[in-house]
Amino acid sequence: MGVIIGPRVIDAGTSLLSVLISPVLVAAGYPSPAQDYFDGRIDLNEHLIKDITSTYVVRVSGDSMEGAGISDGDELIVNRALEPRDGCVVVAVLDGELTVKRLRLTASGVVLAADNPRYPDIRVPALSDLVIWGVATRCLHHV
Amino acid sequence: MSRALPGRGSIALVDVNCFYASAERAFDPSLEDRPLVVLSNNDGCAVTRSPEAKALGIPLGEPWFKLAPRASEWGLVARSSNYELYGDISARVMELLGRYSAWLEVYSIDEAFLGVSGTPAELQQLGYSMKTAVRRNVGVPVCVGIAETKTLAKLANKWAKHNPAFDGVCHWDAVPAGQREKLMAGLSVIELWGVAARLTKRLNGLGIHSVLDLARADPVRIRDRFSVVLMRTVLELQGTPCIPLEEERIGRDQLIFSRSFAAPITTGAGLRQVFGVYAQQASARLAKHGLQAKVLTAFAATSFYNPQASSHPSVCVPLPMPTADPVLLARAAYALLPRIVDGVKYVRAGIMVTDLRPTGNQAPLPVFENPHEERGIGSLLEEVSRRYGRGSIGLGQAGIRGGPDWSMKRDMLSPRYTTHWAELPIVKAA
Repeated sequence: MGVIIGPRVIDAGTSLLSVLISPVLVAAGYPSPAQDYFDGRIDLNEHLIKDITSTYVVRVSGDSMEGAGISDGDELIVNRALEPRDGCVVVAVLDGELTVKRLRLTASGVVLAADNPRYPDIRVPALSDLVIWGVATRCLHHV
Repeated sequence: MSRALPGRGSIALVDVNCFYASAERAFDPSLEDRPLVVLSNNDGCAVTRSPEAKALGIPLGEPWFKLAPRASEWGLVARSSNYELYGDISARVMELLGRYSAWLEVYSIDEAFLGVSGTPAELQQLGYSMKTAVRRNVGVPVCVGIAETKTLAKLANKWAKHNPAFDGVCHWDAVPAGQREKLMAGLSVIELWGVAARLTKRLNGLGIHSVLDLARADPVRIRDRFSVVLMRTVLELQGTPCIPLEEERIGRDQLIFSRSFAAPITTGAGLRQVFGVYAQQASARLAKHGLQAKVLTAFAATSFYNPQASSHPSVCVPLPMPTADPVLLARAAYALLPRIVDGVKYVRAGIMVTDLRPTGNQAPLPVFENPHEERGIGSLLEEVSRRYGRGSIGLGQAGIRGGPDWSMKRDMLSPRYTTHWAELPIVKAA
């Protein structure tokens, strides 16, 4: 996995606490005396995930979001607790499938836009007609 | 024993609607509005039915071989039990609910009791908040029943679930007394939480048929004729809380060990010891029933009396192979320890094991036993499997595709979306 780039970090609309470690087996042993001087390695969970209970990682299939730096095969960190706002990259339910799009809230309606000119925009009368599955906060882009 | 709630506390029972089916739908929206059944181990019979599947008249426990021929005609979809997914979703739900109350008792994989306080209107609001948050944040629908006792909270929950007018949240005291009596009169005692089927005949003999009949019975008479346990149910129906926290429960497909500590535990080392004890108990209990587990959930909880430092960490751990080995179970439970903050007072902890299966159906296990375990083979295999998928590596005969699960038939298994990097949900960019 390579450098992490993201469309941008969306302002968290939630103040929920978020201490977390991934659910993996941890080999526990006797503490080393060196531990007193060691705060631990960087834990990506801590930095990339705000709320473990509402955050999922999904994998992208397709190139319609290339313009946002999201390529085929990249992983997205998706927070379901965030309020979808204009400009957010969202995972929306379209025809029974999870689909990644950029959300545009305009005066004339809601648009699910691709970040690739080869794909058409999808217009929706109102946000309530849409199921927004979650808001992407980071893209784990493979370089 | 459970601690009594201070003041006029109420109890909320929150449970996930059709849990297994809802967990499947959270990651596969094409299953929404379709009849869906989740099958028991070996794709045996329907253990969870979506409302659409219930509407087709499919009974609980119906064998899949009977349903399969008509599945396409009905548009019926079946899924094998994906315990890793259910375990992780459960841990998320419990942790989220823990933020709404300083007192949370994980009752089963998909239900929890919470201590709450406030006016009926406030509590109703709290119920809706929890319902909205779990649906939105985790992705599964819940119903909430609130009352002064656990038994009544169960009833309120049942009502919230079956009467659309409640929109999923029912506060027992907010319902007019006449309506409550009508509900209780229409429910057979057998539907009541904690009343065993074999009791109903004897109760019927005494003219006690409905829940209302039982609620109106004399608790002392019930104790003399039946048991203290049934007396408690009567008292609870009458509004007096008296059902203690159970320390060990066996459900249809899960085993729970949980207890309150005499004195709070404030260190990871302390909890480590506790989990060791639970692991031994779970191991013994599994062995007694000839079962092994594949998924373990560990959780801890702070005290109701210390809401400032309220914390309910919960973690779901897929076990490297089906096991009843106390060492393996304990190690899995230790996955919660990094989440434990030293100095915080934990008053309760527990483990839950799911994905239970008969010991007989075992893959060649000896290679995983302790002498080898110490060489790290088990953890190496687990690491490889985790990184490259189940079946990517195995010892001897287990090395064939299908991996350690070879003896279990799970043809309709959905991806383990949240616990395996190779099986993440796919989002389309097209």
